[in-house]
Amino acid sequence: MADIDTPIIDFHCHLGRWGRPHIDDDIDRYLHTMDAAGIDKSLVNCIWFGDARRCNDVVQKFVSARPDRFLPVAFVTPHYPDEAIAELDRCFGELGAKFLKIYPNYFGYDTTNYPPEQFFPIFEWCDDRGIAVMSHAYGPYLVLRTGWHIGLSAPRDNPNYVNLLDRFPNVKWVIGHKGGGPGQVPDASVEACRDLPNVWLETAASSSAAGAFEYVVDTVGADRVIYGSDVPLFDQRNEVARIATADIPDESKKKILGLNAINLLGLEI
Amino acid sequence: MGKVDLHFQPTVPVFDANMHLGRPHDRRVTVHTAEDTLAAMKRAGVGKALVHHPHASFRDSHDGNGWLMELIDGEPAFEPQFVCNPSFDNLDEFAAEVEEHGVRSVRLVPTYHMYPFRDWVLGRWLEWFEDRNLAVWVQVNANGNNSVDFDPSAVHDTIKDHPNVKFVLSEFHYQIALWVYPFLRSLPNVYAECSKFVSTNWVPEMIEVSSVDRVMYGSGFPTEALAPQLYTIHRSGLSDEDLAKVCGGNLERLLSGA
Repeated sequence: MADIDTPIIDFHCHLGRWGRPHIDDDIDRYLHTMDAAGIDKSLVNCIWFGDARRCNDVVQKFVSARPDRFLPVAFVTPHYPDEAIAELDRCFGELGAKFLKIYPNYFGYDTTNYPPEQFFPIFEWCDDRGIAVMSHAYGPYLVLRTGWHIGLSAPRDNPNYVNLLDRFPNVKWVIGHKGGGPGQVPDASVEACRDLPNVWLETAASSSAAGAFEYVVDTVGADRVIYGSDVPLFDQRNEVARIATADIPDESKKKILGLNAINLLGLEI
Repeated sequence: MGKVDLHFQPTVPVFDANMHLGRPHDRRVTVHTAEDTLAAMKRAGVGKALVHHPHASFRDSHDGNGWLMELIDGEPAFEPQFVCNPSFDNLDEFAAEVEEHGVRSVRLVPTYHMYPFRDWVLGRWLEWFEDRNLAVWVQVNANGNNSVDFDPSAVHDTIKDHPNVKFVLSEFHYQIALWVYPFLRSLPNVYAECSKFVSTNWVPEMIEVSSVDRVMYGSGFPTEALAPQLYTIHRSGLSDEDLAKVCGGNLERLLSGA
């Protein structure tokens, strides 16, 4: 092996016990796989619970144990909008959160069953501060379901469609799982991101067809693709490998593995 | 500062235990010819690959196996694997084709071929696998329409009743980690082909629940990229001897009937 030194930042890391193998907040295993994958820092979120404050307390405990390796990510639930702003204040003030993670479909939101207004105060708060928001998206189907909150793929005739890119122009939107490569090429949801400068694509994927990751980078550019693993669901080594072994220039790999996250979040490494 | 190898090449001979050759019906793939597949293998440092045709696993095994041999066209880097459908195929005709082409392994796909993995469907075939000392891949993965759910209990119980046949669990997803570990612990005649398994720390854990002699690298190419699993295996702290087993030695030994 011929390792090189370059910052590696994992943008997509989960905490919180979930009754599944590895999803158990074992900090020693976390550090072991980070070291094996060559990762400097993991941006950790907890989004599984109905109580956002409890989620963010889990994150705070983990980060406090190893602040040199973990950075906090905020979470709020749209089901209790009266609590959300205070929790955002706590996360980005007291706890030092670097961005906000949301997971609309896990919390029962889609384009047809719920209006998006519950998220608007949250997005307004982020828009006022120019904060990055990462949302889960998975495959064309879920991009359609969650498309309204990034204003990308939802049909224009959908009465719930809101172009959030226009309405909240200062938010830096990060689309989880969209950068890892689709199951086939081309992919309409990737094409939709081609000319959207304040949209970044995060790379975690349990499956990615040959040539698909290269297609994503070629379509949106290496400056708007960000490494994330979805650990502990996926092994961080696998997700680094998708980038490290891709048929793209070395400088693009370095941007995706860490430099883009550093620039997006203003991190000091 | 992070550590990463941007020009990774495997350090041991690699024999891929799961590759598709030819076009599937349900998606466009970027690589489907023998020539392009060989070029991708060369770039990733994969010397040989066990290949089957996606049409054989999705639909008609007879036609798919025939198209596979046309595509291989004598290329020694490709080891043919025939798919059989015990609920439909004629065993005597299938056996004759296996002999004619020197095939050393077969693939069962109960999800797409939509049959129960039970002795009353497989019985005569299982006897033939044992008599012929053929390794048997059992594919877990299924996407899309026209498939049935994989039934781990049926597969477990049937395999348990045939301890002299060597089976390979293939294309299992991270979401089944809850049952795949006890499955492998329970059945010493089952190997693991790990093309779609990306669960955290999967390499040492798969070895722990089975053994280093029963874990095999597979890519799933071209519906998966070739190199990520290889990269992870190489960064899992294995000795050179164990690395060689997982990356190809175990597959070579299994196909030789040892």
